[in-house]
Amino acid sequence: MSPASIAKTAMERGMHVAALTDHNTALNCKAFDSCCRDVGIFPVFGLEVTSEEEAHILCLFKTVKQAEKMGEIVYDRLPDIFNIPEKFGDQVYVDENDNILGEVDKYLVSATDIPLEELFDIVKTIGGMFIPAHIDKPVFSIPSQLGFLPQMEYTALETVRIPCPVETGDFTLLQDSDAHYIDDIACRFNTFEIEALSFTNIKKAIEGRKKN
Amino acid sequence: MKIKELYKELGFELLTTCPDTEVVIAYTSDLLSDVMGNAPDESALITIQAHKNTIAVASLAGINAIIICNNRKAPDEMIEAANNENIAILKTPLSQFEASIKVAKTLGIY
Repeated sequence: MSPASIAKTAMERGMHVAALTDHNTALNCKAFDSCCRDVGIFPVFGLEVTSEEEAHILCLFKTVKQAEKMGEIVYDRLPDIFNIPEKFGDQVYVDENDNILGEVDKYLVSATDIPLEELFDIVKTIGGMFIPAHIDKPVFSIPSQLGFLPQMEYTALETVRIPCPVETGDFTLLQDSDAHYIDDIACRFNTFEIEALSFTNIKKAIEGRKKN
Repeated sequence: MKIKELYKELGFELLTTCPDTEVVIAYTSDLLSDVMGNAPDESALITIQAHKNTIAVASLAGINAIIICNNRKAPDEMIEAANNENIAILKTPLSQFEASIKVAKTLGIY
C-alpha cells in the first residue's frame, strides 16, 4: 500500500481529505503530499503513535515537516529493537513513484516510552490533533489498556462502530477507515461541512462537532 | 502486612511517603484494564507500567502499593499522584516474575 496507490484509491472512492498515519513513522508523508496533490486530495500528515501504555494515538499535522518532527521524537523514544524483515516484513519508505528510499531499522510495532500525557503535550506543542485510535477495540486502545478514558483535551475520538460502547462525553466520534490494505480505503469515512479545505478548518470542524 | 514492614523486608526502594496501610496479596499484570477487573483489594500491583494512569487504576481497584519492576523510572507526576492517593510506589531491578516470587514469600503466601 504505497502513498501513490492510497491517494489514487481515495480519490476514486470520492474522498476529499485523506490522512496517512503509519505506525510510529512519518517517513512516507512527503510522498503522500505530492501524490495527494496530483489527484486533488487534501492531505493530512500523521502517525499512529504507540504510547507507553501501548495505546494507539492518531497524531495529525498540517505539514510534512511537523509530522516528520513528531516522527523523529517517536523514533528516539522507541526501544532499540530492530526489525527483522524476513520475520516481520519490510518497513520501507518510498517516493511518489513507489521507489524505495530506505527502510526504518527500528521495529515500528514496538511501544514508545512516551506516556499519554507527555504525548499529548508534544502533539499540542507541534500544533497537531490528538485523537485516540479505535477506542472500541479490545486491543491497543486507551480503554483496552487502561480500562477507562482519562480526562484529557482530545481533539476527537476514533471509533470503529457507532454506538460506541465507551462513554465518550461531548467529543466528536470519527469513524475512520483505519485502512491497512488498499481495499479498506474509505470503508468508513466522515462528512463535515466546511467553507474551504484547510487543516485549520478541518480541525475546527472536528473539535466543534458534538456527539450525535 | 503493613507496607512499612513489607518494603523493608523486600529491600525495594520506596519512592513515595509510606502510607499506614496493609498489603495482604499481590497481582502481577501489565495490562491495566485487566488489573482494574481482577486485582484484589488491599493488594500490591507488580508491574512495569510506570506512569500516572497506573495510580488512577490502583485507586479504583483498591491497590495499596505498586511495585515497579526492571528499574523502570517512575515520573514525578506519578509519584505525586500516588502521594495524593495514599498509595506506595516501590521500585526494584527484579523482573515481574522474580518480584512476584519474593513478594509471595515475604507475605507468606507460598
